[in-house]
Amino acid sequence: MDKQQPAAVAMADEVTGIPGLDAAAPRPGTGAVVEMTGIRKSFGDHEVLCGVDLTVEAGEHVVIFGPSGSGKSTLLRTINLLEEPTAGSLKVLGREYGHGKDPDVPRGKPVELRRAVGMVFQQFNLFPHLTALENITLPLKRVAKIKGREAEERAAHALRAVGLLRHAAHFPREMSGGQQQRVAIARALSLDPKVMLFDEPTSALDPELVGEVLAVMRKVAESGMTMVVVTHELGFAREIGDLSVFMEDGAIVESGPRGFFDNCQNPRTKKFISAVL
Amino acid sequence: MKIFAAYDWGLIWENRTALLDGLLVALEVSAVALVLSVGVGLILALLRMSAPPLSWLAALYVNIFRGVPALVSVIWVYFGLSLVIGVQFSTFQAGVIALTLLYSAFIAEIYRAALTAIPKGQREAGLALGMHPVRVFVSVTLPQATKIAIPNIGSMFIGMVKDTSTFTVIGLTEVVRVTQNLNSTYFQPFVLYTAAAALYVAVAFLIDFLFRAVEKVMESPPRGRVAQAITGRKRRRIGALIERVSASQSA
Repeated sequence: MDKQQPAAVAMADEVTGIPGLDAAAPRPGTGAVVEMTGIRKSFGDHEVLCGVDLTVEAGEHVVIFGPSGSGKSTLLRTINLLEEPTAGSLKVLGREYGHGKDPDVPRGKPVELRRAVGMVFQQFNLFPHLTALENITLPLKRVAKIKGREAEERAAHALRAVGLLRHAAHFPREMSGGQQQRVAIARALSLDPKVMLFDEPTSALDPELVGEVLAVMRKVAESGMTMVVVTHELGFAREIGDLSVFMEDGAIVESGPRGFFDNCQNPRTKKFISAVL
Repeated sequence: MKIFAAYDWGLIWENRTALLDGLLVALEVSAVALVLSVGVGLILALLRMSAPPLSWLAALYVNIFRGVPALVSVIWVYFGLSLVIGVQFSTFQAGVIALTLLYSAFIAEIYRAALTAIPKGQREAGLALGMHPVRVFVSVTLPQATKIAIPNIGSMFIGMVKDTSTFTVIGLTEVVRVTQNLNSTYFQPFVLYTAAAALYVAVAFLIDFLFRAVEKVMESPPRGRVAQAITGRKRRRIGALIERVSASQSA
């Protein structure tokens, strides 16, 4: 039995570009990828989203931050209908998936929506009974309908892109949190999504592992991928954010373009930023 | 003064074919019933986890059949149910149906607990990747739940083999029926029933061994020599793939 040393091997793999994605991702200025208007979400009597409007342009990197319980994760999860909005319009790539204004307009199916939207979770959510490679080949085979050998080939390239090719045969429990999250990113990217959602992707990581995940996300951002990132890493948010959104109590308090962290006006936003940064 | 003839242990060896045939029948009935019980149990578990009218029916079924003894179940199926529906089951069929009715109820509870133990993030990740909900269940949730359920299903299988001993009442030639027949010829109950007990215990050990092997193979990563042999080809293929893709990197 060959005993591999994951730590040593990891050094051998460099984080490389994300092949094939630059062409797939919509270029800036080709229109809105996500358009949300008047999105409301209630759990029983408790309203967690109280009418949110947010538009994500192609190639844009939107960062959402705010205190716990502000509804930012719920907002992100409505984009791929993991949370069904109670009211409001959700358009992705021009297609209505929410309730919309006109009930006669046919709504798209969640399965179709999710094929265009990739998601990375706080808890990684890799499938523990599958190897890193199989975690990627499963959706390639079942969603993208790519045959066995070709799926493996593509999955291997996706792993190489996040610097984890040598871990292809490893199971999630044999990998560090940072490595697991990088596999999760590769898994979502391998399906050529038009937009990537990141739900606090570094919050469950040991501090020393945050950097490797942010490095991969930076690469994804540089490839031109449209991204919506919910994060507490305000340094990173400031760096990649084309549009920054501050949320509290289920509503957007303030949002703005690059320079938002220095130019924001709302005292609540200023207070939050100065407390975290 | 000697009332009883000396224990004739040689009887066991002389009648080994009859005893082992009985054991084989017991194992066959149990194995078929196990497969059916897992199938029916899984469906019951899903029903029990679904919306009220269906979940109530599933709960009712589970609570009824967990409480029925195997002896009653098989008499009811063989003599009662066949009258009602007008089909005369063979003793083998009646045994399989009786066991399936009981053990699907137990396995439903085993699967319900196992399915509940899978974090909801697993399903969400599958859905977020664009997989159909049924596909997520089959490829993500079910394999993980089965891994949790396997040791308990093994215990159920041992219980099923033991419960076949009551099927002597309908005349199924399983271990106890064979033992009774031999005893009426030789009148050596201690020797013959010791042999029967030994067979049941041996089977319990065997089933335990098999299910442990399955458990090891289902570990992530798989453990043990069996797993090594099964996954050997796949490991070599992935190894070659890694080398090929990593070589193409420099280009």
